[in-house]
Amino acid sequence: MPTEKQKSYREVKSVKDYRRLMKAYYLMAKNPKWFGKKVAWITSGGPVEPLYAMGVLPFYPENYGAMCGAGRTAVSLCETAEAEGYSRDLCSYARCDIGSALSGKGPLGVLPKPDFLVCGNNICGTVIKWYEIQARAFNVPLFLLDTPFIHNELEAHTVTYVRRQMEEYITFLEKMVKRPFSEKRFLKVSAWSLEAVGLWKEILELSRNRPAPFAAFDAFIHMAPIVTLRGTRWAVWYYKKLKKELEARVRNNEGAFVREEFRLIWDNIPIWYDIRNLSKMLSCRGAVLVADTYTSAWTLRPVDLQNPLESLARSYASVHLNLGLEHKIDKMVGLIKDYQADGFIMHSNRSCKTYSLNQFDLKKKVSERTGRPGLIIEADHTDSRSYVPDQVEKQIETFIEMINKK
Amino acid sequence: MISENPFSHILNELGETASWSYQEIAAHLPPDRTPVGYFCPFVPEELLQAAGAIPIRLMDTPVKISHAQAHLPAYCCHFVKSSLEHYLRGDLDFLQGIIFSQSCDSMKGLADTWTLQGRRAFQFNLMVPARLDSLLARDYFLTELKRLKNELEAKLGDISPQSLLEAIRLFNRIRERLRELYARMRSDPFRLSGAELAQVVQAGYRMDRARYLETLTRLLEIWPEQPLSGHPGVPLFLTGNMAHFPGWFSLIDEAGGRIVQDDLCSGGRTLRLMVREDLDPLEALVDRYFTTYLCPTKVQGPFAHQEILAKEIRESGAKGVIFLFFKFCEPYYFDYPDLKKFLEAQGLPTLLLEIEDPSQSREQLKIRLQAFVEMLS
Repeated sequence: MPTEKQKSYREVKSVKDYRRLMKAYYLMAKNPKWFGKKVAWITSGGPVEPLYAMGVLPFYPENYGAMCGAGRTAVSLCETAEAEGYSRDLCSYARCDIGSALSGKGPLGVLPKPDFLVCGNNICGTVIKWYEIQARAFNVPLFLLDTPFIHNELEAHTVTYVRRQMEEYITFLEKMVKRPFSEKRFLKVSAWSLEAVGLWKEILELSRNRPAPFAAFDAFIHMAPIVTLRGTRWAVWYYKKLKKELEARVRNNEGAFVREEFRLIWDNIPIWYDIRNLSKMLSCRGAVLVADTYTSAWTLRPVDLQNPLESLARSYASVHLNLGLEHKIDKMVGLIKDYQADGFIMHSNRSCKTYSLNQFDLKKKVSERTGRPGLIIEADHTDSRSYVPDQVEKQIETFIEMINKK
Repeated sequence: MISENPFSHILNELGETASWSYQEIAAHLPPDRTPVGYFCPFVPEELLQAAGAIPIRLMDTPVKISHAQAHLPAYCCHFVKSSLEHYLRGDLDFLQGIIFSQSCDSMKGLADTWTLQGRRAFQFNLMVPARLDSLLARDYFLTELKRLKNELEAKLGDISPQSLLEAIRLFNRIRERLRELYARMRSDPFRLSGAELAQVVQAGYRMDRARYLETLTRLLEIWPEQPLSGHPGVPLFLTGNMAHFPGWFSLIDEAGGRIVQDDLCSGGRTLRLMVREDLDPLEALVDRYFTTYLCPTKVQGPFAHQEILAKEIRESGAKGVIFLFFKFCEPYYFDYPDLKKFLEAQGLPTLLLEIEDPSQSREQLKIRLQAFVEMLS
């Protein structure tokens, strides 16, 4: 049983600014007409920079799913979707969104109606089906940015295909907002995007220090601006502030947790409804998640401001989830080495086949290459019905004991 | 001794071929062709044939999953699990190559696991664009087919324009015969049982194709003129995954149903893959995927799946629709609620059957089918 109190955790002070920022974003997203904005629903791996350049407000159903999970309202929304015939085996982000759109219920109440949809299949094939459903339900246009999966290398003809679609995307947006695309504005947005991505990368890399100033559980929360506000000055403003605070922690030798005996890496989307409890389970045993494969997915390749469309195409085509198993093994091995981790925890996530399907092989190969043990725990990112916390706690307890004996 | 009539003889021969294990397929390979495996209709069999291969389509089979459990989570479909199980058991060692094509997330993962095992046979991952409504995707897919062609030439042998055209003609003729077979099944429904129909189709994925064409042609030639009489079953349309396991078809027969057409990935849907013989062969192979062929992992517009399916169902004269989906198959399950609503609004009742290992849940499915057929009678 955990004995240590939660105060062993040092709260990030910038969280107050984070809350204000996200509140302002959701105020706009809920009331786009007040601000004269059109709303586009977009996937988390979708190219948001052209949207901001065109003055369109992006709304992220996946972030909303995470919010439903963290706020423990996901199950009832999933059940609404299931009552309509959607299988319980389908992605729970999608079920939350569909359930919410059908019922008008959820943490935000009635969701902002999209004027159009932008879907990037660089994170999974699930989003294609999910966005088609919403395109039918709302009777709005859908743009799909198709990024073929990269088993080995990013081929030249794949870059050409994605870049040409980016051009098509711009034409689509011009049609949607009935305004010409401004190259000047796009460059400005791309520069902000580049800066925010750079800052986010630097923030995450600060946890290479011992003790780690910023735990993965912090990153799960503070990632929202890099997803939703990437390409705005607000993301840059916020991450500058957060970085300053965390650099001070490094100077003062302060970790996110008072006790840091075991450093671990997390793989997969968080278990949103149990973040606090999991954090407690680990911290009371002296374990800290110092990095993860999920939030680092937004440390995209830098935008080349001389050639922004092509570099965005390369960047969006090669996000973590669009890469094959060998790349994923390399990434995990890299994280373990760079963050001097003692082991890794993998969330086998029923809702995300792209992330979870090869985890057994991934675990085996990463352990072979690093000598570090891995643990697989079973859950779902927002649907808590398939999660058994007592069992997970037992697994974690045994795992930490095993690391300790090594 | 009474000699078997030629019609039954052909049916028995195809039935036997359809029920071969992988070891038996290996034992019956034509000596002049190299066996290459593939999973999905997005892999153009014509290119494999032209390179001197015999394309062997890997389909769902009843097999106890034991080795694959160490590589795959419980929540992926039986097709993916059973394919890996056969591979790890060594049942597929006779294949000289394997072609994956980008379709669903589970197949992408399976392709990576396959590579990681590092067996001898060559593996090619064909990237199929998701947008089957875009000219840009056509260009991209053409480059991918050229990559596949180069790989096949390097591994198996040259593909001349003439050999490719001949292969295209061969597969077009097979599709024409199968189309004719489906038509005969509507005009003379008691000649073949549902299971026999499934076997005739399935045999075509595992035998020499020239011989298959001859056999199909002969079957249609000697098809008796006078239709057999029998109790008219309820005409049904079957849609779903590559589920050509004859047991599913027998269940429908036993429940009093009669399949008049299907849109299975291993059946009727592939009949839409006719290739134009007047175009450049590679471009013609690309072209066919951008017409009415639609797999739910691809996009042709949000309403395309409903429209294509509704048209085929109307033409078939079916009174009801059966969805036959592998458990955990996201692309199909996402489309299902809207499809169901759309079809039922047109007066077409539907029944969803969720399937896993073909040897399981038979009786449970049968009861549901019986109730459905009774409702339509």
